[in-house]
Parts: sequence; C-alpha cells; structure tokens
Amino acid sequence: GVILKQWYQRRVAITAGTSVMAATLKPYLNAVRTTLEAAMCLENFYSQRVERHNKPEVEIRSSKEVLFTPLEICRNEKEKVLIEGSINSLRMSIAIKQADDIEKILCHKFMRFMMMRAENFFILRRKPIEGYDISFLITNLHTEQMYKHKLVDFVMEFMTEIDKEISEMKLCLNGRGRISAVEFLKNFN
Amino acid sequence: MILLETENRVLYETLKAKFEASKPESVNAVAVDFDGVQYSISNENGDKGVILVSAKMSVFEDLVKHGVEDVLKREYGNYLVAPQDGFNVTLRFELASLEEDKAELARKASLLKRNCYTSVFEKYFKIQEAEESSKEMAIVHYHEQEAMYIEALPDRVTVIFSTLFKDPDDVVIGKVFLQEFKDARKYYQQAPQVLFSYGEPPSELKGVSDLIKGDNVGYVTFVLFPRHTKADQRENTINLIHQFRTYLHYHIKCSKAYLHCRMRGKTNQFLKVLNRAKPEAMTEKKFAKR
Repeated sequence: GVILKQWYQRRVAITAGTSVMAATLKPYLNAVRTTLEAAMCLENFYSQRVERHNKPEVEIRSSKEVLFTPLEICRNEKEKVLIEGSINSLRMSIAIKQADDIEKILCHKFMRFMMMRAENFFILRRKPIEGYDISFLITNLHTEQMYKHKLVDFVMEFMTEIDKEISEMKLCLNGRGRISAVEFLKNFN
Repeated sequence: MILLETENRVLYETLKAKFEASKPESVNAVAVDFDGVQYSISNENGDKGVILVSAKMSVFEDLVKHGVEDVLKREYGNYLVAPQDGFNVTLRFELASLEEDKAELARKASLLKRNCYTSVFEKYFKIQEAEESSKEMAIVHYHEQEAMYIEALPDRVTVIFSTLFKDPDDVVIGKVFLQEFKDARKYYQQAPQVLFSYGEPPSELKGVSDLIKGDNVGYVTFVLFPRHTKADQRENTINLIHQFRTYLHYHIKCSKAYLHCRMRGKTNQFLKVLNRAKPEAMTEKKFAKR
C-alpha cells in the first residue's frame, strides 16, 4: 500500500513536468534532514586527553573512537552538505549554489554578514570548513538547551531560505541597474 | 532620488540666503563637490557687502586649453574676477548691485563646476556640428587616476570614461549596471549608444599614454549623435554626461547599502526562528496565559 502510494506520487511529479532541479530538491533535503536527525544524538563527554576539559570532539578530532564517519550529501557538484558527527558534537557544512559572479559575491557577503554575528546564532561557526560556504557546530550543550526537532527545522529552513534570498537579491540588483540606466538615458532627447 | 542634481546645493542655498537677506550678513563657508572639487564662500576683506565664491578643481588645468576661461567669462560676465590664492576660479558678488532675479543668480553660481566642463564639450560638439573631425583627442583627468577622452567625428562625438573600482564587489555589480546601460537603447532609441569593456582600453584609445589597466578598471564609451550635440540640446547633454561616473558609483553604493539592509532583516528573521527552539519561550507563554 505504502509502496504503491510512493510510486503514484513519483508518477504524478514526473508527469506534472517538474524540472530535473526541482525533482532533486526534495530527496536532497530529505536525505539531509534524516542524516542530521541521526547525527544529533549527542551526549556529554569529558575530554580523554586533557583532565577536567570538555571540548567538542568533532573539532578536536584527536580520538578516533568517538568520531563518526563523515557523510557528504551531494545534490550536484556545486551544491552539497557535509555532516561530521562525534559523540558530543556535530558539524554541518553547506556549499551553496552560486551560478555566476553576482551570486558568488552575494553569497559571500551574506555568509560573512551572518558569521560575524555567530555569537547571536549559537550554533553558527565563525569560519566555514574548507570547500564550503558556511558551517554549523552543534554541541550537546545546545541539544540540552534547545529542542532537537526545532534545531533540525531551523537548519532545513535555513537551507531553503538562503537560496531564495540570494535569488531575490540578484533580482533586486538587476532591477536597480535597469532603473538607473533607463532614468539616465531616457533624459537624452 | 535617482538622478543627481547638476547644481551644488550648498552653494545655491547659501548664496540664495545671503543675496535675499534684508541686510548684509557675514559668510565664511567651505563646501565640497564630486570629483574632488572644493568651494569657499567668504567676504572680501571682511566686507559684509561683498561675497567671494571660489572653486578649486584639479581638472581645471586640463580644461584651460579647451577654452574654459572664455566660457566662464561668457557665463558670469563681470562677476568673474582673478582667482583667489590657491583656487582656480573666483566670482565676486556685490550685494548692493546684484541683478533682479537673485535666486536665478544663485543657481547660476552653483553651476560653476558644470560650466567649467561645458568648455570642452561645447568645443567638440561644435567641431561635429561643422561636420569635421577633431585633430586631437581631449584628455580630461576629472578624477584621481580616472580620465575622460573626447573625440569628434563628422557624424558623432565619442566620450570614453575610464573608471576604477576600488572594491572588488563593485567590479561585479558595475558589470551588471553597465550591461543595463548598454541594453537600455532597446527601450529608448533616442539614447546615445553605450559600450563598455573591462581590463583593457578600447581600440579608439590606442597610442594614448598613461592608460590605466587591470581587472578592476572599466572603460565606458558613449556615442553621442547629432541629435544630442546640436545647439538646443547641448545643455541637457552636458548636464547628464559630465556626471556619469559619479552617477554610476553612487548607484552601486546605494545598492550595496540596500543589500546590507536586506541581509540584516533576513538575519533577524533567522534568529527569530532559532529562538523558537528554546524551551523558555514555551514556559513564559504558559505563565502569561494564567
């Protein structure tokens, strides 16, 4: 019954004529969500190396036994998510779609803007991991203070909103360019 | 405000206030304008009845050989006097003997910078009107490291701007804007033709010395046709074209400011969503309901 329903839904999506990009979005986000939920099982863990210290193991990466296998979920070459887990912390890095120069600088500006305010964001990392545009660091402290399912919701919403915002900013920029060019040139007689 | 004002508002308002004042007041003001132009408004030797307006602009030297002094004499007549020390142009107004329309006089004085540029543009427009070609290209260093190159041909006048984008983001945003300038002719056929290139100067400038080059350098060419250069359109054309570089950079900076506002708004929105993940908000609501 369930399998038939899923087959039917897929048929509807294909016959509705959705593009390849839209068709890959849902499975991509679903994969990220389930992986994130699984990785977010964090517990307190005192450092094995330094007495009386408590550090996020995913950052230190010194004890192999407390680190989980990193998982990279790719929508395509340019858009991907890296989820690195450990016993008391997880790191999620996102590579955002940047189709052209203007999207590159908009993305860069936006990410930099948010990373400068990382303190307010608690779970945001001040610097992205090499090869990605932005990174989150979630520790057991965060999961103790905040609802896990809402944290996952936040990260998923973040991913969809970023793409939308960059597209909108690009449209605004193009619009402004057009208006200023037209205003200037239409005054010539 | 999309188009920039041609006159200098500080000059206009200060002079209008002083000209229309019921009794002479002392004045000592300093103002600035785009492209590094500086003004000074003062009383001659402390005499409240005489106002001196002086302007200092680095571009003046380049304009001298194109007849700027003659144009200033024509526009300002007896108000033009020998320049004060350290300045390029000085106008002298005796409050007792001003002409009738004081607001108009103040406006004319505030167009000082633009009237300087009129000299070189008019010269080349006239060459084109006579359907001749200019023997020499005019090189006007209107801005630090940036220059305007003007050439007249029998059927057109080309004005090439070189401009430097100090911020690397400006380079990309500039490309978007200049592409729109190039495409705008589709909607308005009466507009001049606009071409642009990055990095390398266009072929028309072959042989010119001191050309700036690099990834953050843009060259914009305006092709003005006879409809733009004919006598009754000259004023309008010069008003628009002499401020082009300022206009472009102004709008690039405005869009960066707008993007910044947007990003701030979006970040706040994200923070709100994140704060929903905290349980304290739930317990506070429960207490409030009671």
